[in-house]
Amino acid sequence: MAASVSYFGIRHHGPGSARRLLEALDELQPQEVLIEGPADLSHLLPMLASSSMKPPVALLAYPAGMPELSVFWPFAEYSPEYQAVCWAVRNSVPVRFIDLPVPWRVEMHVEEEAADAEADVEDGAEMETAPEAKGPEAKDPETGATAELSGESDISADPIGALAEAAGYEDGESWWQDVIEENPAPGPVFEAVEMAMAALRECEVELGDREAAREAHMRLEIAKSAKAGEGPVAVVCGAWHVPALKAKHAAKDDRALLKGAVKQKISATWAPWTSPRLAFASGYGAGVAAPGWNLHLWRTPGPDKTTRWVARIARALREKGHIVSTASLIETERLAVTLAAVRQRPQPGYEELREAAVSCLCFGNGLVWEIISTELLLGSETGEIPDDVPMAPLLEDLQRQQKKARLKPEALERELSLDLRSDSGLFRSTLLHRLDILSVRWGRQLDAGRSRGTFRERWMLAWQPEFAVQLVENLIYGASLEQAASGRMKTRLQEVHELGQLADLVLNAMTAQLPDAARNGVKLLGDRAGQTSDCSELLAALPALSDVLRYGAAREVDTDQLGSLFERIATQASLSLTYAVRGLDAEASEAMRNHIQAADNAIRLLDDRPGLLESWQHALRAIVDEPQANRLVSGLCARLLYEADLLSSEEAVDLLSRMLSPGTEIGDAAAFFAGFLEGAGQRLLYDEGLRGCVDGWLMSLEEEAFTEHLPLFRRVFSQMDKSERRRLMDALFGRSRSGGTRLVLTPDGDARWQAHFKIVTRLLTGESHG
Amino acid sequence: MSDTLRRPAEITYAAEIEALKASDSHPKPQGWVLSPQAVMTYLMGGTAGGTEISAKYVGNRRLIETAVATLATDRALLLLGVPGTAKSWVSEHLAAAISGKSTLVIQCTAGTDENQVRYGWNYAQLLAHGPSREALVPTPLFRAMESGSLCRLEELTRMGSDVQDTLITVLSEKMLPIPELNDAVFANRGFNVIATANDRDKGVNELSAALKRRFNVVVLPLPDDMNEEIAIVTKRVAEMAVSLDLPAPKNVADEVKRLLAIFRELRSGETLDGKTTLKRPSGNLSTAEAIAVTVGGLSHAAFFNKGDLTAESLAPNVIGAVVKDPVQDKVVLEEYLETVLKKRRDYSDYYQALTELV
Repeated sequence: MAASVSYFGIRHHGPGSARRLLEALDELQPQEVLIEGPADLSHLLPMLASSSMKPPVALLAYPAGMPELSVFWPFAEYSPEYQAVCWAVRNSVPVRFIDLPVPWRVEMHVEEEAADAEADVEDGAEMETAPEAKGPEAKDPETGATAELSGESDISADPIGALAEAAGYEDGESWWQDVIEENPAPGPVFEAVEMAMAALRECEVELGDREAAREAHMRLEIAKSAKAGEGPVAVVCGAWHVPALKAKHAAKDDRALLKGAVKQKISATWAPWTSPRLAFASGYGAGVAAPGWNLHLWRTPGPDKTTRWVARIARALREKGHIVSTASLIETERLAVTLAAVRQRPQPGYEELREAAVSCLCFGNGLVWEIISTELLLGSETGEIPDDVPMAPLLEDLQRQQKKARLKPEALERELSLDLRSDSGLFRSTLLHRLDILSVRWGRQLDAGRSRGTFRERWMLAWQPEFAVQLVENLIYGASLEQAASGRMKTRLQEVHELGQLADLVLNAMTAQLPDAARNGVKLLGDRAGQTSDCSELLAALPALSDVLRYGAAREVDTDQLGSLFERIATQASLSLTYAVRGLDAEASEAMRNHIQAADNAIRLLDDRPGLLESWQHALRAIVDEPQANRLVSGLCARLLYEADLLSSEEAVDLLSRMLSPGTEIGDAAAFFAGFLEGAGQRLLYDEGLRGCVDGWLMSLEEEAFTEHLPLFRRVFSQMDKSERRRLMDALFGRSRSGGTRLVLTPDGDARWQAHFKIVTRLLTGESHG
Repeated sequence: MSDTLRRPAEITYAAEIEALKASDSHPKPQGWVLSPQAVMTYLMGGTAGGTEISAKYVGNRRLIETAVATLATDRALLLLGVPGTAKSWVSEHLAAAISGKSTLVIQCTAGTDENQVRYGWNYAQLLAHGPSREALVPTPLFRAMESGSLCRLEELTRMGSDVQDTLITVLSEKMLPIPELNDAVFANRGFNVIATANDRDKGVNELSAALKRRFNVVVLPLPDDMNEEIAIVTKRVAEMAVSLDLPAPKNVADEVKRLLAIFRELRSGETLDGKTTLKRPSGNLSTAEAIAVTVGGLSHAAFFNKGDLTAESLAPNVIGAVVKDPVQDKVVLEEYLETVLKKRRDYSDYYQALTELV
């Protein structure tokens, strides 16, 4: 006799749903538990109940050797599936997955990616969501998320939304929260949901191939268990599927749907997950709006959950330095309750509590709420996995890539020189750069710094055993080296606030061939650039950006966007430059000088952008003309203009003599002098007028002042080598008036060349002398 | 048609309130004319028993829900926001819908003293008969407590801080002591206070922390939707042009659209396409200011530009609205001109006109 089958339609990551499920399982005492999940990974399930497994974790599977195609099934502490597994293990009941095996999903995933890529081509501006965060459930119909993501209003896209609308709710999330998650009186909830879904599915005509195949597979698996089983069987699946699973279908038809199954070797393991990545906002379609709130509901089931949540809000606010009185908490809770009554909801949900908190605790100021909301609603939990899980995909990926790059991990130091023009060189360099991002310092770049101008890289390699451990820690960022490096880079981009550092990271991401992270960084750069008013920060971003623009064109990044961003930052910097160079102290002026010098190089390198160089040089000019500008900086600006031929020798001489004239304070004059000449002492050799001017100023100094400035002079002149210094001496003491280096066009050169040419021709043709 | 220039909300919209009353099936808090749900319908629009209810407030429903829920508790409501965000309008309609009376108003100014908030004395009575209830001159607040209705305080923060604090006892204990008579007024059910205030303007006084925490605060934002704002500005400009006898050229709507695009971009700190972040000027660039700029432009056009409304006629007023701080705001505007407007071909006239003036 076949065992009876009970169906429990749940909502993924719904704490209320999980609680009801546990009650139901306790009551039913099934002999087997079947869960919606990849059937070929059932062997990994018992591990989920291990005591050293701390959710959020994700089941991760990928075709052997291709971790970049990973698919994930995340589980939170409050996920009904997780609780069902724990229940089964606790009660020593067999538990297994019944959904389509992984290869189907991988195929689906690849198709989706391709579709996404097409969509991206159509809408180039759209930033792609992190592909590794997009689980296979991304387009699952029962989440209620699809409608929000794509703006569809179709019933199949959002069945809960349709139910909620029927119940007079504005959004599906609240309805489910009230009826299932927060229903204080448990009733025959699973039956009710099932009936509702059945009604909804009647309206739904078209079922995607994939959906049909999934349900067929589940039906077959359930039938198998029912046939073999002794006692009752419990099926835990998304509510949307229940009517279809219960419906009678001929096993033959179901098998027909499953024809053409892909055979592929699959590697699978558990990976730690983070609670923010359970949220919709992270791009996980089956996610929840506020993982933090869900966790709170799960951990605080009692009637005091509202009060405790308010108390958590207060604690978060107090940690940020706001004064929050206990009386205000009481009023917040009262307002939330009244608000729920006005909206005719049985009890306040997190939206009511949010609005009440904004009104009572933040004095209507939404920004204050924003500060605490991320931590509160998204949470910061990170999962842990036991040590005995199958080998982490990152290590496997590393081994594969090491083999491909023909680089063996050796403990002894070894130098490696790479030619980036060859494919293998580029591949090795990319691998090393990515590992570097993942804090696995296998290779140390010897010629680090601005080396993108060359096609050569030199590395020192040394492998240490602890690198393996460090690598596995990166699993929360992604399953392949590329994804993990990209994910980690994105996190780092979020943490950095200085424009210059941000630009460096973008360059880093480009070098490591992480176009996704680079795009992300470019967008952040744009946002931050708009907000900052600190000129030196803007200037600091320019060198790295110009490097990217010059050497990154071959890589997969939209350099157009970067180009306009460069223009914009340069324009912004030019506009604010004159204001930024006033009232700087010695340290700040030194820093500003270096920034301007570097930015000038960067802007001159990209001289194909119309108007940019002009407006920059205009700004430099404005600094030179600005009497309040820092003299060190204005000295540098004068030189830059002089070098760009925008300041004639005569003008420069006038300027120098004005700036260095006896009326100017010695300190200021010296600073200008340093700014003008430091790093450009050679100019004195060739430019007589300039030399005369400087000479005159030096001679006019009183002895005391001269001694005071000796260190400065030494610094300026020490950058010339010995022969240059000798030539300068010669020039100054008249041994050679012009320094002897200037070549002059001879006026009769043309005629002389003609004559010379005749002689040469004659010699070559062997003609004898006339 | 009555001779009154403008009648209070409860009279203008009497028919709607009656219709809502007739079809109202939800429980009413004591002292309320309508249930909270019906109040929501009155403010946000809808139907009641076949009668069309016009929308009084266009915007975020959740904010108004918070406001109504606040009044249903015994907490007072403070509507906060920059000028021109319909604070007083919302407060008037809330009072009309909840108490059926929106005329119990105290207009708070720097010159408002305690006697205008609590009660004054009829000195003839006081001298003739000594202190008595008859010699008291009740204020709107006093009357609202007695009759159990809503009292509105307009521009609460313009009143001196010491006078504001008179409200503390009234708000927390719902009681107004009259020490001269050894007596007190106890508020009837239905009494509450709606205050409107402006926290960013000049000449305002900080609310004391003690008073602030007796209010639930709802901040009314500037319009979210561009088309909505265009409609508001065009309508108001047309009305004002008529009352000022200014001819309105045909292209007013187009210019309003372009002007608002600039205003909204600077106000929100990013371009409308969301691709570029911008700095914000210190002024708030409210809808009301957009109206003023356009009307100024119309007047310039009518008297100095042969009736053509062009970028040149609007530019000086735009600069006046944006550049409130001569140094910082100027940089902000220059940056906006160079990085955003310069690239937009359809804004080249604005770019030129504004660049010349900056």
